[in-house]
Amino acid sequence: MFGITLSRLPWSAKVFCTLFLLGIGCGQLAALVQAATAVGLSPDAVRSSLTADRPMTGLADGERSAEREFRLEELEHEPEARIRTPLLIQTSHTHLLSMTLIAGLLGLIVLFASLREGTKVWILSLPFAGTITDIGGMWLTRFVWPPLSVLVVLGGGLFALGYLLIAGISLHQLWLRKERTP
Amino acid sequence: MRMRRPLRAALAALLAAGATAAAAPHVTPPVVLATDRDALESALEGGERLFVRELRLTDAERAQLEARWGWNAEEDYYRFYLSRDGAGELVAAAVFLTETTIHGPVRVLVAVRPDGSIRGARVVELTEEIYAWMQPVLDRDLTKDYVGYDARSEFQLTERLRRMSLPAMPEFYAKIVVRLIERGAALYDVAFQPTTGTG
Repeated sequence: MFGITLSRLPWSAKVFCTLFLLGIGCGQLAALVQAATAVGLSPDAVRSSLTADRPMTGLADGERSAEREFRLEELEHEPEARIRTPLLIQTSHTHLLSMTLIAGLLGLIVLFASLREGTKVWILSLPFAGTITDIGGMWLTRFVWPPLSVLVVLGGGLFALGYLLIAGISLHQLWLRKERTP
Repeated sequence: MRMRRPLRAALAALLAAGATAAAAPHVTPPVVLATDRDALESALEGGERLFVRELRLTDAERAQLEARWGWNAEEDYYRFYLSRDGAGELVAAAVFLTETTIHGPVRVLVAVRPDGSIRGARVVELTEEIYAWMQPVLDRDLTKDYVGYDARSEFQLTERLRRMSLPAMPEFYAKIVVRLIERGAALYDVAFQPTTGTG
């Protein structure tokens, strides 16, 4: 872009881009550990954490009260962490802002890669699309249809694919590609 | 410029790890200080059988909560966990209540005796940010000061807590916990003791 390519960047810029990409990779590794221990990584785990609490007694719409005997063991099947609506709101706002910022910076780096315009568009769109699918999937899982929890994992996958492509292409062009001088 | 093979391999591994991590669900989990089961086990101690009762408040009951305690009880239904002795008499009732703040939710289990007095309370869930503020207060067992209070009591920070000279944010969240304990007492008073409700 503007005649500037990753392979021709000065050393300081190459080191900056490399450290940023590696830092994001490390951050995502930490996110994986957190998600695995607190929620779980499968669509089922996401679904059970996000699905709204349903009456234990079978309390029907319009019914005043209902009671039944229960055992504490029933609570063992509860998800490790239940993401209730207030927490979903908080999670959405922090992740939409931070993931979009990361997607933007990743996209900024790939703008200077030596690729066709169409290819750049597809690649830099992936993290943005992943973010929307991921966070949107959480809301759809909770309020529309629980099996849509698969969107949360799919969204994460799109973000991952975008990151992988951008980081791989960028690091290759930063350090391995030799641009011919015109 | 050429990269050495081990460096390439390390970079590739890091990228793969990052990509795998990104595929994980992006949920900021709450800080769970006690599971529902563990919290209930101690809150309902002493009974022989456990029950769960779910109830919807009437408009009059909601109005009573609003007028007397300034609480707009919006949930569709509330769930009480009860323990009863061998004769079926109530030993304790417990309810989880949540307050949503700008920094996320705070969830407290409030247990009451059959007469409506507080049997115990426990903060079971909050967010990382709130936990950092609340930890000194929680370490000093904030909730035990309110054992014996009931729906007619004045739920303010106790003298012991005031002497701690809490900074603004810990004090703010301590008051929220106290408010949730008050709501537990109020909810029991309104829903379980309609004839003695103080509204």
